[in-house]
Amino acid sequence: MKITVSAHQLSVGYNKKQVVEEIGFSVCAGEILTLIGPNGAGKSTVLKTLSGYLKQISGTILINEMDAGHIRSSDFAKQLAVVLTERIRPDRMTCREVVETGRYPYTGTFGILSEHDKQIVEQAIRTVEAAAFAQQDFSATSDGQKQRILLARAIAQEPDILILDEPTSYLDIHHKIMFFEILRKLAEKQKIAVILSMHELDFAEKISDYVLCIKDGKVQSCGTPDEIFTPDNIMQLYDIPKNLYEKYFG
Amino acid sequence: MKRNVLCFSLLAMSLLIVLILNLHIGSTPLPFSDLIDALFRNPDSDVGRILWKIRIPRAFAALLLGGALALSGYLLQTFFQNPIAGPFVLGVSSGAKLCVAIAMLFAFRFVQSVNSFFLITAAFIGAMLSLGFVLLVSRKIKRMSMLVVCGVMIGYICSAATDFLVTFADDSEIANLHDWSLGTFSGTSMQHIAVIAAVVAVGFIGAFLISKPMYAYMLGEQYAKSMGVPVGLLKAALVILSGLLSACVTAFAGPVSFVGIAVPHIIRVIFRTSKPLVMIPAAFLGGSVFCMLCDMLARTAFSPTELSISTVTAIFGAPVVILILVQRKRGEL
Repeated sequence: MKITVSAHQLSVGYNKKQVVEEIGFSVCAGEILTLIGPNGAGKSTVLKTLSGYLKQISGTILINEMDAGHIRSSDFAKQLAVVLTERIRPDRMTCREVVETGRYPYTGTFGILSEHDKQIVEQAIRTVEAAAFAQQDFSATSDGQKQRILLARAIAQEPDILILDEPTSYLDIHHKIMFFEILRKLAEKQKIAVILSMHELDFAEKISDYVLCIKDGKVQSCGTPDEIFTPDNIMQLYDIPKNLYEKYFG
Repeated sequence: MKRNVLCFSLLAMSLLIVLILNLHIGSTPLPFSDLIDALFRNPDSDVGRILWKIRIPRAFAALLLGGALALSGYLLQTFFQNPIAGPFVLGVSSGAKLCVAIAMLFAFRFVQSVNSFFLITAAFIGAMLSLGFVLLVSRKIKRMSMLVVCGVMIGYICSAATDFLVTFADDSEIANLHDWSLGTFSGTSMQHIAVIAAVVAVGFIGAFLISKPMYAYMLGEQYAKSMGVPVGLLKAALVILSGLLSACVTAFAGPVSFVGIAVPHIIRVIFRTSKPLVMIPAAFLGGSVFCMLCDMLARTAFSPTELSISTVTAIFGAPVVILILVQRKRGEL
């Protein structure tokens, strides 16, 4: 299968200060890679670097077999879209208008949407099952609805790669399930490579094709959910004593 | 879409009505029949001279500069992603004012004449200096309310310095410096209008050209960057264009308060949108109508005594600012 995105010997950090080193992985179209690890391990830093917001310290990122650093920013935005943890408060924008901004890389000088653009926006809204509240003011919707709209915005960008940083942290169980269902379908049907970080290990086990564990500035382990989600591995990754692990998960 | 058409027609109509009223009302009311006659057939009659020398330049100064001010405020609000940003509260107008005062005094002393572009350049430098200072502070202080306090303080310092200059420069040539330093649309000539129109057109077209990235920027810096917006360039363009527009206003009319915050807010409420493509022309038209109305009040309310334009705009504009503060939830500023 075609590899959509891969990292080789990648070191990431802020202002030359290394946060995580020697990251390596590859994700094919339609696959989901999940980053797990304790708070502050550097999952967000890895995702920010992959999405081009931070420059890597060393190593390479390949997107569709091209060095990510050499892709023009307008072309980059057609290949990769993000859902960030940063909360946004756009003034007087409806949900549909938020989704419409995803067409940015495709529209002309004044950003006017063509019929084709509008169809893609509607399709994206249907994909996240948000048609019922698309006309509402974005700031008046619930957290679960906001996340779906932001996912729709990313989908409207028609990316090959989707990067999501803890997309379900604020959501209740119903909305978490709904969000992951949409994500799984999206990856399979539209052949998008998905990379996300999350703390919900139960969900990570169910929806991921591969899992990357980050701890103490290093990739601790990487593999399929079956390989990663063993009691020993999880206890070690999150520093949970055996008796507590058994009390809560055993 | 229908709403936009309706609102734009209403704005355009009020602009026309206020413009005609501005030509009609004054110390000598000019009947409408005389207006038409003097405008097109008899520009050399007494009425014609009042119109072409005094009322028309003044009305167009209010029209162009009011629009420029509202647009400048809207650009700054986009930059700071906050509706209480504006050239007056951030000290931009006062910085421009100080530089213009210095430039005028310098010019009277040594050159005996003042060139419009020289004044605009001085105002632009002043605007950029105070905006630059606010930006420096904004790297340390993230809260908008503190930034505004900082801007107001810069404003006071610059105003104090300007007052000092105006008080001690008692040459007869700069008698009108006093009026100007309080804010007024009077004393503009048709030559000035041509210069103003040219500068404002540059600002207006520039704003239109960055309307697309401005819209994406409303989702925040990170999302904008992820969609391919050259964020650094966009921010520089916003600062330069808003500085240019408010500099032009200050150079010709002095400081005019609160238009930059009040008008874009009213326009957002009326149009129920924040799309730059709609907001840019709408805020401009709204600023024109607002300033022409205020100027009409300034010169007629206590005639023959004239109020300074800021007195009137503050009465209508400041309550709107309070309203924005009350409406916004706690902790958001």
